Parts: sequence; structure tokens; C-alpha cells
Amino acid sequence: MTRARLNARLNARLNTGRNADPIALEVVRNALSSIADEMALVIMRTAYSSIVRDSMDYSTGLCDRHGEAVAHGLTMALHLGSFPDGMKALIAGYGDDTNPGDIFVFNDPYTAGGMHLPDVYIVKPLFYGGELEGYAATLVHQIDMGGIAPGSTAVYATEIFQEGLRIPVLKMYEAGRPNETFFRLMHANTRVPDKLAGDMRAQVAACNTAERAYGGLLERYGSETFRTILADLHDYAEAVTRREIAALPDGQWSFIDYLDGLGDDPEPIPLKVTVTIDGGRMIVDWAGTSPEVPGAINCPSPFVKSAVQLIVKCIADGEIPNFEGFARAIDIRLPEGTIVNPRPPAACAARAIVGWRAIDVLLGAFAQIVPDRIPAAGEGGVTFPAISGMHRGRQFVLSETLAGSWGAMPDRDGTFGIPNPGGNLTNQPAEMIEALHPLEIEGYGMVENSGGPGRFRGAPAYRRQYRVRAPGGVQMVMRSDRRRILPYGLDGGCPGTPSWNIVNPGPGQRTEPVMPMEAVRLADGEVFCHIGAGGAGQGDPLERDPALVAEDIAEERITADYAAAVYGVVLGAAGAVDAQATDAARAELRKARGKGDDPAPAYLQMFQDSLGLPDFRLEGERRMVYAEKEGD
Amino acid sequence: MSRSQSGWRLGVDIGGTFTDLVLAAPDGGLHTHKLLSTPDDYGRGIRDGVAALLGRQGIEPAAVDRVVHGTTVATNAVLEGKGALTGLVTTKGFRDVLEMRRLRIPEMYTLNYRRSEPLVPRRLRLEADERVGPEGQVWRPLDAASVEAAAERLAAAGVEAVAVCLLHAYANPDHERRVAAILRDRLGDDVFLTCSSDLLPVIREYERTSTTVINAYLGPVIRGYLGRLREHLDGIGVTAPILVMKSDGGIMSAAAAAEKPAYIVESGPAAGVIGAAHAGARDGIADCITLDMGGTTAKASIVEAGEVARTGDYEVGAGINLSSKLVMGGGHALKLPVIDISEIGAGGGSLVRIDAGGLVRVGPDSAGAVPGPVAYGQGGTEPTFCDAVLTLGWLNPDYLVGGGLAIDAGAAAQAVAERIAAVLGRDVLDAAHGILEVACGTMMRAVKAVSTYRGRDPRDFALFAFGGNGPVVAAAIADLLEMTTVVVPPNPGVFSAYGLLLSDVEQEAARSHLVLLSETGPAALDALYRELETGLAADMAAEGYAAGDYALRRLAELRYEGQAHELAVPVPAGPDGLPDIAAMAAAFGAEHERTYGHRADAVAVESVTLRAVATVAVDKPAPKPKPGGANAGGARPAFFGAAAGRPNVPVVPREALTAAPRGGPLIVEEYDATCVVPPGWTARLDAAQNIVLEKGGVA
Repeated sequence: MTRARLNARLNARLNTGRNADPIALEVVRNALSSIADEMALVIMRTAYSSIVRDSMDYSTGLCDRHGEAVAHGLTMALHLGSFPDGMKALIAGYGDDTNPGDIFVFNDPYTAGGMHLPDVYIVKPLFYGGELEGYAATLVHQIDMGGIAPGSTAVYATEIFQEGLRIPVLKMYEAGRPNETFFRLMHANTRVPDKLAGDMRAQVAACNTAERAYGGLLERYGSETFRTILADLHDYAEAVTRREIAALPDGQWSFIDYLDGLGDDPEPIPLKVTVTIDGGRMIVDWAGTSPEVPGAINCPSPFVKSAVQLIVKCIADGEIPNFEGFARAIDIRLPEGTIVNPRPPAACAARAIVGWRAIDVLLGAFAQIVPDRIPAAGEGGVTFPAISGMHRGRQFVLSETLAGSWGAMPDRDGTFGIPNPGGNLTNQPAEMIEALHPLEIEGYGMVENSGGPGRFRGAPAYRRQYRVRAPGGVQMVMRSDRRRILPYGLDGGCPGTPSWNIVNPGPGQRTEPVMPMEAVRLADGEVFCHIGAGGAGQGDPLERDPALVAEDIAEERITADYAAAVYGVVLGAAGAVDAQATDAARAELRKARGKGDDPAPAYLQMFQDSLGLPDFRLEGERRMVYAEKEGD
Repeated sequence: MSRSQSGWRLGVDIGGTFTDLVLAAPDGGLHTHKLLSTPDDYGRGIRDGVAALLGRQGIEPAAVDRVVHGTTVATNAVLEGKGALTGLVTTKGFRDVLEMRRLRIPEMYTLNYRRSEPLVPRRLRLEADERVGPEGQVWRPLDAASVEAAAERLAAAGVEAVAVCLLHAYANPDHERRVAAILRDRLGDDVFLTCSSDLLPVIREYERTSTTVINAYLGPVIRGYLGRLREHLDGIGVTAPILVMKSDGGIMSAAAAAEKPAYIVESGPAAGVIGAAHAGARDGIADCITLDMGGTTAKASIVEAGEVARTGDYEVGAGINLSSKLVMGGGHALKLPVIDISEIGAGGGSLVRIDAGGLVRVGPDSAGAVPGPVAYGQGGTEPTFCDAVLTLGWLNPDYLVGGGLAIDAGAAAQAVAERIAAVLGRDVLDAAHGILEVACGTMMRAVKAVSTYRGRDPRDFALFAFGGNGPVVAAAIADLLEMTTVVVPPNPGVFSAYGLLLSDVEQEAARSHLVLLSETGPAALDALYRELETGLAADMAAEGYAAGDYALRRLAELRYEGQAHELAVPVPAGPDGLPDIAAMAAAFGAEHERTYGHRADAVAVESVTLRAVATVAVDKPAPKPKPGGANAGGARPAFFGAAAGRPNVPVVPREALTAAPRGGPLIVEEYDATCVVPPGWTARLDAAQNIVLEKGGVA
């Protein structure tokens, strides 16, 4: 079909397929998203655990009476597609047994459409005039659901039975009455029953908030018109999405990227995607992705679907509304038994790492389709340490979501200190951590001489350093990545710098794997340092504007010797660029290129030297792409 | 020192476009003046306007005994990056806190977000080798040499201001004081210094650092600005003290504002809300939601029992605050009390467009002052909200009321017809009305953000509308939220300048106190409050107030143990005069339930921040009643939706209204604003000259 015909068809659909008033559609759309935001505010302000209240690892949404999403609060992007599977399971199980005052709860990936056990869904059906008209849905990463390690996110579980309490779809309230069996069972299966109860209360309160506001909309429009409006908004979202897809060139593109792997001797784990654009339709096929692995990073499908949907929204020219109708235009294929669609009882507690990498893989594919909109790879997603121990006679768990280094865009440097596009998460104040836990944050900031060089460079790496101030020591479950398989550069830009987990940095330091297959024990006074991967670059570093290099030196992001070795930029006496010396230095660096295999480019070697880790091994690392330009 | 309060008082409100002046006579009579602002030196415009107004009224400059000023100079300095060259000294290891902020950004699904630059570049963010723990214990002593080295570098860079923010300085300010002393020694007296422990001794390093930096960054600018304003006023013989509106709605002396300019960042929008709170309380409208709609944005805020709502979660330089506090991260955190104002990018100049999917959108892009709406005939071709309302017949079709600007309603209607109605396949009036509905639906979000988002039912409140466009849309927005009362005060177009004259002098002090209420005692809390009050007394003495001149209030910001967000409650005294801790916990539980719909009495309540506030009540001009019932006005056809059609609607001045409700549709046209009374609403004039619109009232 030609583009013009497709557009004509879409327009026809927009103009004739719609029964409701376009004004009412816009008003209702705004109203629904404001309700979802209102729900999110209730949870943010009333939650008890740090991962919810400070890291904001939760989501809120509204679904129509068929369980299809019609709004998603401004919270966690990677939860975008997290409600549909759970809603299907709920309706399949309780379609005939849903009554006013009921509230459902579930978390199980294999029977309830959940993602991993800490993500607890609480959903309230919304009635008007005795009829089911929709659902208020919330999803909160609960701090502990029992299982093999505090925080319930151990990488080293091999079966879901080790990971905590599985909750199939259940009623936690039935016709307004609490299900005491559920609450007692819950209380007995977590390390922090008070926080869990508090956070669940926050979820219920958010649902109740939505109930009032959603009822107000029904009151205003009446049930019949309201249902028509929602149906039309799904069509609208689909039409907008199809138009965005149709604006992309037709064709097929693949990209493959890897997770470093598990434990002390990791094997790279491939994720592969093939994106097909065919008019107004998009197929996203994950064939070629690794089979399930014997560690807790298998990723139940809702999270990968979310990654696809969020990237489509990211690359869209205009705004795609959060109506599930938009998903109709995207055919997502997830082969069963792979790490992106595991079978029971595969463990999945630390599965988010697959979601983060799926984002990188998708961006790598789209960089071939719309290169002007795509950044080089960033830090690779959130590093997730869960530190636990005893404090003032009580058990504590501190989970953090660390991120903040983007890859370069085609027209500017990667941004430092903003969240990964997959999750709009926050960091936690060091002062608050220290006030509540027996830990000192020794430093949080930029690592100098880090990140991937390029005409536009990746953002520098961040460092977060903890000192244990607990007489009994602490243990830490660690999920990180991107040490041996670096964030990829684009258009000749260099890969980013590797991530590290260092215990007692300095003389006598030791390193821990990216994903240790057991808890790391740290004694009182010991220091743990995490360095995130630095963002990758775009374009040849020797084409970087020397003035930008001089600015990086002035801002102390890089040192003068690094600038000379990596960018061939030489400064004169007053800190200004010495153009002549720079030209000469760049000519030398160009000449040196392609002369055999340079196992460690200067930027990586200087970065490693600064950490006292001069010997390191990269695997599956992409070739320095600028070498390919030799023939130009 | 007690001040004479019997003379003339002058409110001066400057915005980007206009400078508004309100002069209150000793008997309460009001005289207003509006002129174009002079952004190169705002003080010059103020001087000229004041001279003109005094001259017009025949008032001696010396008869003015107070000038109250609301200004956007501080906000603009941040937005435009025109603050001082500022350095920061912080704890070793935390140099980048200011740049990393809390990570979170106000947009989702974007690969193209551009964050505003930190106010201090990395090269001027330097580290002191020291470390204090959360209880104020010294984990590592201050290494003076590291500070001296930092001072050396800052001196070489020629900084005009330095912020000092060390970790846990709220618990132990000793290291900060020593750092400041070394800096003062090396940098001299001209450099503006701010310590976090003086400005904002509360926990959370990013928010405290950012606030301290904002204060330093603004210090030299505001000092210069207020100094020049003083000279300009002295030059025309107005020697009355200048007081400045703070973001929280109190007023402080110019000297205090120059020392703590971070307090006046939201000075501009605060005045209108304060005005509504005081005027509302005086006129029997103690619970209201304010709606201030101007050319580019609509702002809403809530007033309960005459008290404005304040928030400690604020950002400057974030652009428009679209949806309450979920979308933080766009600007620089300012952790000082600010009136909780929610803003939406919908104003008179907002552009109306049809999006890719065929839906009508209003704003947030604006036609601005140039080219402005199509009707202005200055080259605008895209229809704006203002053009749509003109098309409906709601505004005067020949000239902008009071502005003397001729307008072309025909061109406006044509743009709406061609650009919107034709695409939608609708009649032009129908399309224009649709635009109004969408805009009101968007603005409703600002109203919801300060009401339903905080657990308040808007139906319990009156909508208090001002600004150039507020009274145009107020009833339409009220309808959407089932609010049944709208109040339009006199002089709605310069209401903010009037609000300045209704403010009390206020100073506050706060400190972190992270403790479970069950683990502290009344005496311990009382001692901490006394410490705060001693500091306040010194501040007030410096302003010329003796202990008897002001009232003290104690507030506590509390949460359930483990929560991250606090609610502020008053601290009642028990029979022994000490804080009544049980009553505090009960008040918190009630507030939590009211705001979030649930309480958890089994969970321990934790104190996070203690605040003390000193208030000097100023006497406020009471409006002078004017006779109503004037005979005047005409009529024009105006469209109110398909059901109501396009009746010929009477157009009258405010003076034509009386205490007897008059049924809509009706248009009240004044020199600075237009008030639209739709069908189904009535309008009357109350004793204070407010227009009161009531839904379903009996005419």
C-alpha cells in the first residue's frame, strides 16, 4: 500500500469510525491521565519503603471494563505494558465473580501475568450503576516478599520457588471485607511485614482515589457515551501509532547485544531482535535470543513487551497516548523458553536486567532505521544493590536504583545524571540513607576520564561508594552489568567504559562479578564502590570540536593528557586550543589506527589505570568502528 | 519600633509585560495604574508609574508610608541564567550532587530531553575534606588546607558569590561556619556568602545544596536591584520603607530580601493568592480556589479557612508546572515554603491546533505578545484561545477593554473557521465552543492539582477568579468541577498588586529534627522551638520589631515512620504550655486521612522538620463601597453551546449589578477584565464590591 493511500485510510478511519465528540475525547483523555497521576501521587507520598517513595519503582493505571489500559501515571516507563497480561488473568479467573468492594492482589508471573514476585499488583474493579465500568490498577515493587535473600531479588535463585511468596490472582478484599487469611499469610512470609502492609495500604488508597474520580466521569457522560468514548480513544491511539509506523521506511533490521552473564566466569547471553516495518504495521521478533538461564534473570514477557512499547513511544515524532489500542499496531513475538519468555519454574527475581538490555537492543535496531533520533548505548540500565543487615535491633534492607549515564546523541554529548529512558527513577539522598541505615555514602558523582569518546562523547560514568558502619557487617545482593560487553557506540563513536564492583578500593582492593551468584559479605568498616558503565560515543573522536574538548578539560571531566591521547587535542598556555599542535597530534593518531589489533585503546587503558585495574579482559566487545572509515 | 499605619500604601507588582500599581488611601479607597514594564531597569518604570499615579491623585510622595513590592526579577534571573558567577564548597565526594540532582526528569518516553545547566559549573564546585555524620558527630575533621585551596581557586575565578553546603550541616553547622570564615578571609567582604545551615538546616543534600546555591546565585542581583529601586524612589521623594513579597505570601524588608533572596523567587504569583485569602476571609469566602489566567498560563491555588496552602517541594526554572509534583526534575530544587500554585500552559495567547490524530489541542505553545492572537492584527495567523472566545462573542469585538488596542473579531472568527472548524467539519461557533471546552478541561487540571490531588473536594470551595482572563472562563471551569460559586474581586486585572497590600510581615526559621514522636518529650521539643524562636527574635529585631509586635506560630512536618513525604501540622500547646505531642500525632493522623483517605494509628509518627513563624499583622485597606445599580451597557449576541444557542446578551459595567442576583447570560465588562455569566448562573454584587456568580441561583 502506498503511503498516501494508507494515510487516506487512516484519516477515513479517524473521521468515520468515531462516534464520540472529538472535544469529549480530548477532555476524557486528559481526565483519565490526571486520575492516574493522582493515584501515583498518593502512593509516592504515603509509601513506606525507600524503593517506592524515593526510587519511585511503581506504576498506576486505569483499565476499561475489558481490562484494557486507558491511562498510565507518569511513573515507571518500563511498566507500560505490565498491566494487560495481569488483567487478562484476573478477568479469566474472576470475570463472573467481580463485585463492588472487591480488591484483587497478585504477583505470580506464571499464573497471574506478573513480572517478578516483588512487583505486587493491587487492582480494584470500578462500578457505576451496578455495572462494571473499569479497573484501577497499581503495581508496586515491594521491598521484600520472602525467599532466599532480603529484598527478594537474588540473582542466584534457580527456581521461582526460592524467590518468595507466589500470589495467584486473589481477593484481598471481598465486598469491602478484608481477607484475613491473605493478610496473615502475607505477614508471615516477609522480612518487613510493617513496610509491606504500609505499601499495600498506599496501593489500596490509590485505587480508592481513582474510584471516586472515575465515577465522576461516568456521572458526567453516562455509561453508554463513556464506553463509546473509551472505544474511540483506543482506535485513536491505534491510528496515531499506525501513522507513526507508516512514516518509517519499510524493511527489516536486526540487532544483537549481550548481557555479560552470571557469576565468576560469565558466559555472554545474547538478546536479538528483528524489527520489520510493513506499512502501518510493525513486527518485533525476538528469535535468536538466549534460552532460559540457571539464574534469576529470566524475564517474563510483560516487561519485554513494555520495553518494545516504550521505545516505539520514544522514537515517535508525536505523542502516542497511553491507550492500549496503540499496542494493536505492534506484533511482538517472544519465543517460548527464551530469556524473554521463560517457562515455569524459571527464576526471574532480577529479571529487570533483561528489560534494560532489551532497550539497548531495540535502540540498536532503530539506530539503523531513524539514526537521527537514537543515542549510542548508555550505562545499560539500573544497577540494583540490595544491602541488608541489622540496625538498632531491627532488620533493614536498602535497595537502590543507580543509573545516570546516557550515550551520545547524533548532535550532542550524552547527558549525565538523568535516569535511563526505561525508568524515570530517582536516587536516594545520602543524608537520608545515613540517618536510617548503618552506612556511610563516601561519594556520589562523576568519574573523570570515563565514558566513550566520539565526535559527541558519551556521558561519564558515575561512582557510588558505601562504607559499612554496622558492627555486625552487612550482606549485599548485587545486580549490575556492562563490564566485558561495553555499551555500543554509533557512527564511529567508541564504546562506553566498563562498570566495576570494587571492595576496599586502593591497594589490596578486590573486585566482585557484575552478578555474583551469592551474597557479598562486607564487614564493619569495609568499603564497596560501584562504578556504572560510561555512555558510548557517536562519530569519530578525532572529529570532535577541539573547543568542546577544552571545555571538558576546564570542567574537569577529562584531564589534559587524556585529551591529548584520546582526542589529539593540545592546549596552549592559557588553556586555549593550540590548533597547530592539535592538527599534528590528530594526524599522528590517525596514522596509528588500523595497524594491527590494539587490544586496549588509550581511553580504556587510561580509565582502567586510574582504577588500579590495568589488566582487564573485554569479550564480545564491538570493534572500534572508526577503523572502518580507513577506506574513505 | 512600631510603624505608622495611617498613611497611604502602595502596592507595586511587576511582570514581564506590565507594571501594576495600586495606591490605597487611609480610608481604604483604591487608585490603580498600569504601564509597560521597563525590563532593562524595572525600577525606572516603577518610579515613573508611581510619580504619575501620585501626581494624578495629588498625593505628596512623603504621604506614602509603605511600599510593598512583588517581583519576578529573581525567577527571571534563574530562567535566563543571569545570576551571579557563583562558586560552591561542598563535602569531599559530593561535588556533583548539584548536577545529578535526584535524576528524575519531568518527561517520559523521550530520548531527547535537555536538562537545564546547573547554576554552578563543575569547575567552581569544590570540595572540603571533612565529614559529619547524621547525628552531627564528626566522622572526619575539617582539613583547613583543602578549604584554603578552594578559596584560592574561587578567588582566581573572580566569583561574586559562594554557597557552602556540607553533608549533615543541619545537624552540626560547625564545619560550614569554619569554611565560611576561611572564604570570607580570602575573598573579602564584597563576595556574597550563604551557608546551608543558616538558610535551610534540613535534611536531604541535593535540595539543601540547590536552595543554598540559588540564594547565592541571586544575592548580588537582588541586592543591586533593590538598591537601585531605593534610589529611584528616593529620587521622587518616596522614602517609605520597601517591603518585598516572599514566595510563601509573607512580606519581608528589602534588607532581609537582599540577604535571603531565595525566599522571594515566587514573589510575583504569590500576591494574588494572598490577596484572595485575605479578601476572601474578610468578605466571608474563607474557602476558595484561586484561578489566575493571564496571557500564557493559568494558575490555581487553594485557600482553606483563610489559610493559603504552602509546599516545600518546589523548583525554579522548571518552566510550567504541568501536573503537580509527579513531574519534578525540570528545574532547580528550592526547598523553602512556597505557595502551592499549580500552573497549566493555557492562556489567552495559547495556540489552538489539531493534532495528528484529529483531536483539538489548546496550548501549551503560545502566540506570545508578538504576533499574539489573530485578532490583534500583528501578523498572527494561527487561532488562539482569545480568538475563539472573541468568536463566541464573549469579549468586546472592537477593542481590548481598557487597553485601547483595536481588535478584529472578524479575522479571529475567520481563522477559527478555516483552521479548526473546516477540519473538524463543524460550524464555526460550535468549533469555537469546543476550543473553550478543551481549554477549560486543561485548566481544570490545575484546579484539580491543588484540590482533588490533595484530597480536597472542589465542590466545597468557591472559585476566586482574577487576572485578565480568569473571570472570562471561571464559570465554565466551575461547571466542569461542579463548583457552584465564583467570585470576581474588584480590579481583577491588577488584583495581584492589591494583594500585596493585604500581606503580613512574616519571618520563619526551620530545622531538621528526625525523631519518632514517641522517643522525644514535650520539654525537648519545646527547647528546640525556643532555639528557633530566639533566632527569629533576632531577625525580627533587625527588622525593627519588638517581641510584642508579632505573634509566633509553631509547625511540625510529620510523617509515618518510613514514609518519605511529610505533612505540616500546627503544634498545639498543652496545659503546661509545652508542645502537646499526643495532639500533634492526632492532628497528623487527621490530616493524613483528609489528604490520602487513610490513616495508620498503629504506625509510629516521625518528626522531620520543625518550623517557627513570626507574623506581624498589618492593617489592611478595606474597600470603600460604591453605589451599585448604575444604568449603562448594551448587548451583543454570544454563543453558549448548542443547547443555549446564541442569545443577545446584555453587556453591563460592574456598577450595574446590585445585591439582587441577576440571571445569565450576562457579560460584565470592565476596563481591565471581562466577566462572563453563562446561562444557568446568576450574578450579584456583595458588600465588598465582589461579583458573586452562583450556579442555579434564583434571579
